[in-house]
Amino acid sequence: MQKLLLIDDEEGIRKVLAISLSKDGYQVLTAENGEAGLNIFKKELPQLVLTDIKMPGMDGIEVLKNIKKLHPETEVIIITGHGDMDTAIEALQHDASDFINKPIKDEALIIALKRAKERIFLKKKLKEYTDDLEHMIKIATEEVRRRVDFQNKLITSSNDGVVATDEEGKIVTYNQGAENIFGYTRSEVMRKMNITDLYPQDVADEFLQGFRKNKTIDSSWNEATILAKDRQEVPTRFSGSILFENDEVIGSVGFFRDLREVKKLQQELIKSERLAATGQTVAGLAHYIKNILIGLRGGVYVSNVALAKNDTEKLKSGWSMIERNVSRISDLVLNLLNYSKEHKPEYEYCYPNDIVEEVCSLLDPTAKDDQIEIIRNFDQSVGEVSLDSGAIHRTLLNLVSNAIDACLYDSNGKKRRRILVKTSSENNRMLRIDVSDNGNGMDEEVKSKLFTSFFSTKGGKGTGLGLLVTNKIVKENGGTIEVDSKKGEGSTFTIRLPYKNKEGNDDAKKSMAFNP
Amino acid sequence: MKNVLVVDDDADVRIFVSTVLEENNCSPIITKNGDEGLSKVREKKPDLIILDVLMPKRSGIKMYRELKTDDSLKKIPVVILSGIAKRTFLRSQEALTEFGEKGVPEPDFYLEKPVEPEELAEVVKRILS
Repeated sequence: MQKLLLIDDEEGIRKVLAISLSKDGYQVLTAENGEAGLNIFKKELPQLVLTDIKMPGMDGIEVLKNIKKLHPETEVIIITGHGDMDTAIEALQHDASDFINKPIKDEALIIALKRAKERIFLKKKLKEYTDDLEHMIKIATEEVRRRVDFQNKLITSSNDGVVATDEEGKIVTYNQGAENIFGYTRSEVMRKMNITDLYPQDVADEFLQGFRKNKTIDSSWNEATILAKDRQEVPTRFSGSILFENDEVIGSVGFFRDLREVKKLQQELIKSERLAATGQTVAGLAHYIKNILIGLRGGVYVSNVALAKNDTEKLKSGWSMIERNVSRISDLVLNLLNYSKEHKPEYEYCYPNDIVEEVCSLLDPTAKDDQIEIIRNFDQSVGEVSLDSGAIHRTLLNLVSNAIDACLYDSNGKKRRRILVKTSSENNRMLRIDVSDNGNGMDEEVKSKLFTSFFSTKGGKGTGLGLLVTNKIVKENGGTIEVDSKKGEGSTFTIRLPYKNKEGNDDAKKSMAFNP
Repeated sequence: MKNVLVVDDDADVRIFVSTVLEENNCSPIITKNGDEGLSKVREKKPDLIILDVLMPKRSGIKMYRELKTDDSLKKIPVVILSGIAKRTFLRSQEALTEFGEKGVPEPDFYLEKPVEPEELAEVVKRILS
C-alpha cells in the first residue's frame, strides 16, 4: 500500500480527504502543520505528499523545499487557494509535482494523484535503467580492461617483434620479440627512439610519408633486413600499417618475424637435398661413365688398327673418338663440381650477344648434321653490361644442346627443324634469352621433373645434370628460368639474368664521345 | 666382300663397328637412324644388318619389325647391338604382337653393349659363313 502524507491545518479537510484517499487505496498519514509534517516525512518516507500552502508556522513552500532537499524524488502536490496562481507558480519553480485548487474537487485530486503516481513509476523505471546502465558500464569496463590486458599479454608474449609508434614516429610499444630481433632493450627504445632508428630506411620513409599525407600504406609481410644494435643484419619478414582514428593518424604498428632460423634451416635443407640427389645419381652416373669408357676403348681399338696399317684417315677418326669422350668426361666432372659446390658469380663487362653467338656457332655443325637450323634474333640494344659471362655460356650451351636433342628425338619426320635463339633486354636491367625449338616437346610429367632430380629422357646419353646445373647457375646469378612446352609441338626455355649497365655508358657520355 | 649395314645414332659406335667389319673383310654401309637404315636396306640389299635399338627417327624396335614383316627383306640376318638388355627388346616385340601385329622371329644374334672387337667379329663371321 502506498503511503501518502497529508498536511493541512484545517481538521475538516484532513478528515474528509483521509477517508476519501483511504478508499482509493492509500495509507494516509496526516499532519496539522509544516513542522509536524516534516517529522512524519522523515520517519515514514512517503512517496506522495499533499500539502496546503497557507499554514501557521512553516508554510507549504518551506515544507516543499525541505522535502525536496531530503528526498528529491518525492512527489509533492500543493493545495492552493482559488486563483492564487503566483503561489502555484512559485511552488512549481521549487519542483512541486502539481497543484490543486481549493475547494478541493475529487476529480482534480484523483487526476493529480494519478499523474504523480505515473511520475513515481517512471522515476522508478528510470532509476532501474540508470542502475542497469551503470552495471552494464561496469561489466563493459571490466571486459575492456580484460581485453587490453589480454592484448598486452599477447603483444608481450608474441615471438614476433611488435613495435608501435605515435603519430610522430616515436616508439611507444616494444615487446620481448622486438628485443630479440633488434638487440636493444625496452628501456633503451621506449619513447627514446624513433621509427627511423629501428626500421629499414625505406620502410621508415614510407611510414613517415604516410604520417604526413594522412595516408595508409600497403606493407604486408615483405622481407626486410634490419640493422640490429650490434650492427648485424637480421633478415625479417615485415608487416605494418598506419593506425587511424576518425581518419586521423594516431600512430603505426609493425610486426617483425625473425627469419634467421628459417634461413638457416632453408640452407641446410637445400644442402641436404643436394647431397641426397647426388647420392641417388651414382647409379645413373656409373652407366653414363660406362658409355664414355666404351667410346674410349673403341677409340683406342680404332687407333691401334690404324697405326698397324699406317692408315692416317682411320687414325684421325679413332683419335676423334678419344677426344670426344675425353671432352664428355670433362664436361661431366665440371657439371658435377658445378652442382655440388657453392659458386659465386664472377661479374665482368661483356657483350651478351657475342657470347650467345659464340655458343650458336659452336653448335651449328652438330645441328647442320641433322638438318637443324639455329636462327638468331639478337636485340642490338643489349650493349656492354656487367654479367657473369661464364654463366651465360654454360647455361646457353646446355639449353641449345637440349633443343637439338629435342629436334632429333621428334618422331614427326616432315617438320622443318629449327631452333630460335632470341636475346632482349627487359627494363634495361634484365637480360632475357629465349631458346625455342619445334622438337618433340614435353608432357606435364617430364616438365614437373625437369629441375628436381637427376632426371633424363636421353637414356644412357644423358646424365640428368644439365638442367640441374643450368638452374643452379641461373639462381646463383639472381635470375630465373621458365619453361613453356607442349608435347609434339616444341619447347621454349626462357632465362632472365639481372645485369648492371656499364657506368658512364649512358647517353650523355655517348654524345660526348662524338665531340672532338 | 660382304656388305654389312650398320644402323646406330652414336658416331663412336659407327666408327668402331665399321673398323671391326673392315678388319674382317666386310664392307660397312653406315646409317644413323631407322629411316636412313630402311632406305639403305632396300637400295643395297646387304648381307647382314647390325642394328641399334634406341635411336631418334624410327627406333630399332620398329625397324626390326618392318624388316621381318617385309617378304623381300625378312631373309636378311639381323644382329642387334644395343645398350638395352635382350629381354627388354624381346618384351617390346611381344607387346607389339599383343597389340594385334604379326609375330616376328627373334634376331639372329643379340649383342649387349659394350662389345669386344673379337666377339663382334666372331658373330659376324659365323652368320655370314
